[in-house]
Amino acid sequence: MCYNGGMIDEKTLTILTESAKYDVSCSSSGSGRKNEGGIGNGYASGCCHSFTPDGRCISLLKILLSNDCIYNCKYCLNRRDNDIPRATATADDICGLVMDFYKRNYIEGLFLSSAVHISPNFTMEQLYLVVKKLRTEYNFHGYIHVKGIPHADMEIVNKTALFADRMSFNIELPSEQSLKLLAPQKDRESLLIPMSKLQREKEIFKAEKKKGHFLPAGQTTQMIVGASPEKDGMILRLSEGLYRKKGLKRVYYSSYVPVVHDTLLPEVAGGALREHRLYQADWLLRFYGFDAEELLPADGDLSPDYDPKCAWALAHMDLFPVEVNRAPLEMLLRVPGIGARGAQKILNARKYTKLTFEHLKKMRIVLKRARHFITANGKFYGANETAVRGLLAAAETQANAEQLSLFSMNETALSALTGEL
Amino acid sequence: MIYFYDGTKEAFLTALALSFHDGEPFLTSGNKQLVLGQESVFVRTDVERAKKIEARLLSFDKDCMGDLDTILRSGEPNKDNIALAYFRLIAEKKRPVRMMLSEDAALAADECMRRVGFEIHRFHGFVRFLATASGALYAPVSPDNDICDLLVPHFRARMPKIPFVIHDVKRKKAAVYDGENTFLAPLGEAEVVLAADEMQWQNLWKKYYNSVNIPSRERLKQMRGYMPVRYWKFMPEKQRPDDGEEDQGAPSPPSKRRK
Repeated sequence: MCYNGGMIDEKTLTILTESAKYDVSCSSSGSGRKNEGGIGNGYASGCCHSFTPDGRCISLLKILLSNDCIYNCKYCLNRRDNDIPRATATADDICGLVMDFYKRNYIEGLFLSSAVHISPNFTMEQLYLVVKKLRTEYNFHGYIHVKGIPHADMEIVNKTALFADRMSFNIELPSEQSLKLLAPQKDRESLLIPMSKLQREKEIFKAEKKKGHFLPAGQTTQMIVGASPEKDGMILRLSEGLYRKKGLKRVYYSSYVPVVHDTLLPEVAGGALREHRLYQADWLLRFYGFDAEELLPADGDLSPDYDPKCAWALAHMDLFPVEVNRAPLEMLLRVPGIGARGAQKILNARKYTKLTFEHLKKMRIVLKRARHFITANGKFYGANETAVRGLLAAAETQANAEQLSLFSMNETALSALTGEL
Repeated sequence: MIYFYDGTKEAFLTALALSFHDGEPFLTSGNKQLVLGQESVFVRTDVERAKKIEARLLSFDKDCMGDLDTILRSGEPNKDNIALAYFRLIAEKKRPVRMMLSEDAALAADECMRRVGFEIHRFHGFVRFLATASGALYAPVSPDNDICDLLVPHFRARMPKIPFVIHDVKRKKAAVYDGENTFLAPLGEAEVVLAADEMQWQNLWKKYYNSVNIPSRERLKQMRGYMPVRYWKFMPEKQRPDDGEEDQGAPSPPSKRRK
């Protein structure tokens, strides 16, 4: 190796990690960056390297360059008025850490963020210098996710994008009003405009077929749920817009965890169930062809009793049951309990034989919910509509504790389960 | 009839041919307790016959030898019979059967191969290298399936200039990348001299692991589901800390469990 790394000291590492850990996204997917000498490459499906006792995956080294903030966002651990230890790392500290962790296969790359230190432009410039150094001097070709700093000049943001695989501007809270109240130094414009500008810049970069990379893994964002009063219906419409208009790859939801006390904030943590339901609905928007409009009204919340697909199906019983041997893929995907993999298995298998319930069971299609919404070779094994509601709600309540621990909150964790994503 | 074979591809294909008209063949490469009166044969590899049958199978399904390699790597005790039933089905249908999931044999093979593939994916993340004094990297592993050589291309692609060894300590063999070539070698115990700063980096990694966790959202069951305890052995972050830090979520041994 051509670098002569010092080693970051333990205390700095601990402070800057503690300050970064509430950021939810950690995914390392979407980049096929090649090794060009030096160390590292992209792993398009993403890769989890470890899991912490909170059930989250470690894919990237998630760290702040500095937690010394001039802002005072009410919900944030690093807010100016909060009395916590402060630290700022050097570019070489971060680069050395990434290189040595990466070669030992502890991590898939770097997730670099920062508190707004001195000024937005200063902070963005520092982040830029770290990733530039990591790519050009340390010759690192692994995954890099960089947080965009609101109010920083686009010029600095764009040149950072040339070295990063993914960037994200956090939308923080689901509405402008909440942002005003809880993060008065940020505003919607300072978060949404850079997203659009980066999207446009990427299109130009692609159209001109320039050499190199410009955010090959695109953009993501995250918002805190449960610190402010927005309804699920409003949140999902916002996400839908971000996916369809801004071309975002992922929207992360983080259930509010009270890390600082403030009269404007709830004292209790938002529930894991709500976060879980939002991710389920988010999946339906992205992979199952649902619109937010179909799932719930703007002023409604997702049902705690049923998963969102089940709730939708119960409201559209006239469309069911569907025959598994004939139903098109889009309809199979709308059957509660049948996921993308299950639907694909059915499509494959039914080419060769008329599928019966026995077949489905052996193929490990989960029939607990699905049986009420399908026929197999003309046979129906479900209950009538009123009974179905009762059965499903009961099943769901019982299964809840289990489900929350089985299903993941983020895509890389799911990829660990399926090995596919 | 029980067929004993040596676990190789050629012997498997010979056994497939030998047992073709047997209504209830049982194939094994391990130790199988013989029940009194049960007939058994030791399959002697017939290379010519194996070649012929391979060509015939490939004419039905050009990818099936890859499937055979994968299934024979499985740690599943019944893998030999899963492979046998799968290849009998290919021979019967005279076409690829991997999508015919309504057939028991195809389904069992599919699940078996999926488990091997899944473990390879998991190990791309779970392998932990130790830096040695020579600059080479060394990773002890103990996977369920025989996959250590299949892990090499992934790491070779991302670290082409660093030699490394992935040592399957259970199967006593090692996949070696010497900076140019990859090969597989038998290896019982490895003598490794660690780089001077190796323990410091491990220590930093443990500190990172403990700091990035959110204790108020503890979900140990979920953690263990994604990262099963049997894989923890070679992960520095999952070794019990000496200084009495908090439990890392391992289930306590049965003897210590309080009633």
